[in-house]
Amino acid sequence: MKSLQVQIRREFWEHRALWIAPLAIAGALLTAATLFGHSLTVNVDWSAASATAAASMSPMFQIVQAGWSMAFYVTAVILASIYFVDCLYGERRDRSILFWKSLPVSDTQTVLVKFLVGIAILPLGSFLLAALTGLLGSAILALRHHATLHGALPLWDTMAWLRLQGLMLYAVVVTLLWYAPYATYLMLASAWARRSPYVWALIPPILLAFLEHLLFGTHYVTRVIGRSFSELMNLAFSGDPAAVSDTGSRLFSHAPDPAALLASPQLWLGLAAAAAMLAIAIRLRRYRDDS
Amino acid sequence: MTTIIEAIGLSKRYGAHVALDQVSFSIQSGRIVGLIGRNGAGKTTALKAILGLTPHTGSVSVFGLDPSRERNALMKEVCFIADTAVLPRWLRVANAIDYVEGVHPRFQRARAEEFLSHTDIRHSSRIGELSKGMITQLHLALILAIDARLLVLDEPTIGLDLIYRRQFYDTLLNDYFDHERTILLTTHQVEEVENLLTDVLFVDRGHIVLDASVEAIAERYIQVNVATAQIEAARALHPFYERQIFGRPTMLFEGQTREALSGLGELRTPGVADLFVAKVQTETA
Repeated sequence: MKSLQVQIRREFWEHRALWIAPLAIAGALLTAATLFGHSLTVNVDWSAASATAAASMSPMFQIVQAGWSMAFYVTAVILASIYFVDCLYGERRDRSILFWKSLPVSDTQTVLVKFLVGIAILPLGSFLLAALTGLLGSAILALRHHATLHGALPLWDTMAWLRLQGLMLYAVVVTLLWYAPYATYLMLASAWARRSPYVWALIPPILLAFLEHLLFGTHYVTRVIGRSFSELMNLAFSGDPAAVSDTGSRLFSHAPDPAALLASPQLWLGLAAAAAMLAIAIRLRRYRDDS
Repeated sequence: MTTIIEAIGLSKRYGAHVALDQVSFSIQSGRIVGLIGRNGAGKTTALKAILGLTPHTGSVSVFGLDPSRERNALMKEVCFIADTAVLPRWLRVANAIDYVEGVHPRFQRARAEEFLSHTDIRHSSRIGELSKGMITQLHLALILAIDARLLVLDEPTIGLDLIYRRQFYDTLLNDYFDHERTILLTTHQVEEVENLLTDVLFVDRGHIVLDASVEAIAERYIQVNVATAQIEAARALHPFYERQIFGRPTMLFEGQTREALSGLGELRTPGVADLFVAKVQTETA
């Protein structure tokens, strides 16, 4: 347990952006809320509040709250991509792999810890930080607002907030399950490359798609690679996909439907591919001898 | 004394280049073994096979474990310093200690701290900010604080100045070696370790050219600084190596008795470095 803990901490020592960037965003958002809270609330909330009844405040409130979170999730995706491409390459580039391998930590453990950090700890940490920032940010806005507009606006809705966090958490979890094969593919490129892992991460899928188009005129590769976010949202949330076209409103108007997602072969094929790529990455780390 | 490393028919190729060719040897516990050879002789490859870091043919067992399959279990018993440059530059000294303490059940923090207190290394420094000598000191502090049964060192003092090199080996002997543990090391600076070693393994072009304990060398090999008048008599006894020092021939004999050679000149036990040069040059000739 202690070993696992220190192995996870090790990843954050090496890839400091993983914790610095999300904290910087939280800091920037809260600072902005403090400094410019007045004008922000008037722009976003006041017009909506004046035009609609109190009952329809809930969706508006949710959109504002979700807006807080987006900055964290976009950052997390970028951070995770960079992290996955570097995590098994960096230790070979600086030759520190011989130090890590001199300690009783198996290749399997090492690769799985790196996968866990990028696929679970970073996104779930981002979720928690986003929720916390939303909470603090709302409190700051409410205080600023109260001071200037005499509390006329229902800026806080506990039930809506909780419901939104539940939905967000669900969306984060299904997203990371759905995109797990992407993560492991990047790790594979990282474990494989003798140099420039980014080239290895990008070129093979582009080349495959191009060759398929050239030889057969078909686009299966692009379709498989581009497992679309809207397809995931259709599977993960119940409701008529045709009725609501944009993803944002589906998040608020539809209920989570884990059964449909779990019953979909795409999810399981993706997870099986992810497991296979992890196994290959482990073997590569064990037997690759660059020095 | 028990056998802790056993290699049988160990071979390794890199493309057309044969790094190790059907090499067999065994290493006993409680010894300090020098794996000595020129650059590219196969020393590092042999160490990598022992540590499970490279695929090879032939069999290797260390503490009865297969290094490539059971590396995790093996690394609880074995420590190694592959090269001084392998500590990652981004790691802080304090975190390096935390990490090793976290993953190694036999690490004693107090020992590492004790060792570091005699150096100028600060806990808050990143490894990238330390000098090469300090990085080696830190690495040694981490490794020596692990109660391991086998320590493998591959050119541990390369690039260090004389003071650090001397300190390194003194620490190794005084603070670490206790006749229960075993040390296996490679170096091309043979003179620095020859008084340290209990056994030598000479490797040349993928083959072992000598595998002997220092006592056995003293019994088997005699170096004679031959008196000028005795040169022909000495050559008649078939020295396997001869060289001139200040115009006086020095000859190396294998398997001769001291009595037989005593009249030829001044008798000595050859140093490891001299013997290595002689062995490798005769093999090449």
